[in-house]
Amino acid sequence: MRSKWSTGSTFSNNMEEFQTGEETTFVVDEISTIIKESVEGAIGGNAYQHSRVNQWSTNVVEQCLSQLTKLGKPFKYIVTCIIMQKNGAGLQTASSCFWDNSTDGSCTVRWENKSMYCIVSVFGLAL
Amino acid sequence: MEDYQPNDEVSFNADEASNYVKECIESIIGGVDYNQNKVNQWTASIVEHSLTQLVKQGKPFKYIVNCAVMQKSGAGLHTANSCYWDTTTDGNCTVRWENRTMYCVVCVFAVAVTL
Repeated sequence: MRSKWSTGSTFSNNMEEFQTGEETTFVVDEISTIIKESVEGAIGGNAYQHSRVNQWSTNVVEQCLSQLTKLGKPFKYIVTCIIMQKNGAGLQTASSCFWDNSTDGSCTVRWENKSMYCIVSVFGLAL
Repeated sequence: MEDYQPNDEVSFNADEASNYVKECIESIIGGVDYNQNKVNQWTASIVEHSLTQLVKQGKPFKYIVNCAVMQKSGAGLHTANSCYWDTTTDGNCTVRWENRTMYCVVCVFAVAVTL
């Protein structure tokens, strides 16, 4: 039995995906909430500080990952986090994935405060 | 899609992937300056071409390719990744590239497929 494989490109600026809630599919809303809480918890209310940003990005990804694994779904996860200081520079990100469209998925959350941007992406790959 | 032979232990070859990615980046943005109008196309091309090269290897992996291009203007940028997977078969590789006007960071994640 062959799974359906295809390449799909997703771009950080305009990504939307809806999935019906099932035990073995990637539920975007649920993941999105987890990400937002992790980011708020790790860096909410702080101003960009070069000496702390290393610790912050580590905390964001680790917190997200531990919440995701607690869901107990049969998935492998990849969490990426980008924190950028606001000073007028341009930043563009893109992702391309080769996976099974019916079970795998991704979710990207963009967060900002007065001094920095934080972009977190979660990719879930069904086992 | 080809049929895979499930009897070999295949693990991710990070050096090989790193080379494909470097070639892709060079061919797409080597020698050009940061241009806000074009950066959208550049990141899209980099991820798609890198992915195509990786898939052509015909190995039993799912791939995620991530690319960030940032203008050089003194701002700080920090990225972090955390992965929950099988460490014996899965892997990743990160390529950092820069020229006079921009930085480019590409991450490839490869997750083995259980057939």
